Amino acid sequence: MKTLTLVLTFLFALAGCGERPAQHSGVRLALNWFPEAEHGGFYAAQVHGYYQQQGVQVEILAGGPDAPVIQRVATGAVEFGVTNADDVLNARAQQAPVVALLAPYQINPRCIMVHAGTGITQIDQLRDLTMGLSQRPAFSHYLRKKFPLTGVEIVPYPGNVTQFLMDPRFAQQAYVFSEPFIARKQGADPRVLMVSDTGFNPYASVLIATQQTIAQRPEVVAAVVRACAAGWEHYLREPGPTDQHIHGLNPEMDLDILAYGAEQSKPLVLAAGQPLGHMTLERWQTLVQQMAEAELIEAGKVKAEDAFTTRFLP
Amino acid sequence: MSRRFFTWVADTLLPPLASFAILVLLWQGAVVIFDLKPFLLPSPLQVAAAVQAHFGSLVHATLLTAVGALCGFLFSFAAGFLISLLFSQSRLVSRSLYPYAIFLQTVPIVAIAPLIILWIGHGFVGVVAVSFIIALFPIIANTTAGLTRVEANLLDLFSMCNASRWEVLRRLRVPSAVPSMLTGARISSGLSVIGAIVGEFFAGYGTEDFGLGYLIILTNGQAKTDYLFACILFCTILGLTIFSSVNLMSNLLLARWGGAEDG
Repeated sequence: MKTLTLVLTFLFALAGCGERPAQHSGVRLALNWFPEAEHGGFYAAQVHGYYQQQGVQVEILAGGPDAPVIQRVATGAVEFGVTNADDVLNARAQQAPVVALLAPYQINPRCIMVHAGTGITQIDQLRDLTMGLSQRPAFSHYLRKKFPLTGVEIVPYPGNVTQFLMDPRFAQQAYVFSEPFIARKQGADPRVLMVSDTGFNPYASVLIATQQTIAQRPEVVAAVVRACAAGWEHYLREPGPTDQHIHGLNPEMDLDILAYGAEQSKPLVLAAGQPLGHMTLERWQTLVQQMAEAELIEAGKVKAEDAFTTRFLP
Repeated sequence: MSRRFFTWVADTLLPPLASFAILVLLWQGAVVIFDLKPFLLPSPLQVAAAVQAHFGSLVHATLLTAVGALCGFLFSFAAGFLISLLFSQSRLVSRSLYPYAIFLQTVPIVAIAPLIILWIGHGFVGVVAVSFIIALFPIIANTTAGLTRVEANLLDLFSMCNASRWEVLRRLRVPSAVPSMLTGARISSGLSVIGAIVGEFFAGYGTEDFGLGYLIILTNGQAKTDYLFACILFCTILGLTIFSSVNLMSNLLLARWGGAEDG
């Protein structure tokens, strides 16, 4: 009987999670990783007072590996989150009602880093290598499905560049402004092969909220989206103060790598020749199709048009 | 015979099955009543559907993880036994090295696994290595205790008969250490599965093959909670199978030994 009560209590508690409203008068924004350049604009909006200007008080929560951003947003534990477009679709396939609001990175910073000495210049030339690749992100499944990768032994993503430095036949996934910079600093000569060049290009560092938040507090959503867009615009123009702030939060990130990240982000964010953060139905549809092709989601289970909205963009 | 069988079923099998059924019913009920979405908590039916949909992959992954865990376990058993023999033979050796054996137990495996992979390499060998390290200490601790805690009377008897050191070890210490050795084996058998799964997080099996560790990372990363639950179910079944096999074997052995001490 005692066990039964315990189980019941647990289940009730679990059910309760879904309905707990945010306690703050302000809102919270959960990041998907430790504070880095890829979150620059969200911090810039704080550093330069854009949230305040829009009349919202935003608390930014740093993430890390396996930070359950989407789950926290979907259950209402936080109002806003930052994640990648492929994860938005994964979540929607599991009936998590999250919607993308703003997509800073038009070109996904994801790349494969190889030693220049291999002579490999394109992803379809990858062969006879050991390649560190995480199983989580959609792109790794897409690449495995799409390219022959002859003689490529895929091993789990090592989390650092040590193996890359040791082994001239080692390749690994990377963010274009992070691992290659570190590898170069350590004396290696890395070459980056953008995953986006293969046509697989999910929007990155996407701002999300739930359908409920959008329906019930549209003015807050609009204010946060406008502030974030202004923050990104400012960050690309003048990253210095924000980099200082990020470095204070995450001392692991030196100022030089942050400055490099901001510089490298410019062409990735401002790529489309469209307003900052813009999203198109066509690109969401392509992503749905590609992820269905890679057997990550069931075709027809996720609708591209429900996954995002542009109505709050400035 | 048949009556005894029915009593056994009623006494041993029925209670856990009944509590399992109640738990599953409550779980399904909670998911329906509170309208819990699959990303938060999938219903038992959804988990069952995931098991059905991915049955082939799950079985394949479980077998692979099982082989990794078994190898890790067997190596740790062999190595642990040899190390314990050494410890039992010399106080000095045991005093100087035992603290470092404890180190194996306390080191956060998740923190050193990437290093092990870096030194040993990816793939199967890496998985076995992590499983080995995690499973080693309980064998050493229990076997050493068994080998050194021998009845003083018997030791006296052996020395009265002018038994050599080797004879004392072979005819007295090792036989009386068997029960505690098997206790260590039971603990390690469960740990070896955990070790293999953690090893797979970092080592993998190469391009085409994947174990449960890979599936856990994959399904967790893509918020496929129903599939993740299915993976956890198979992990549990694997751990239980290995544990019960070792348990069964040790009970048989101890029965033959004449009187189980802690079976």
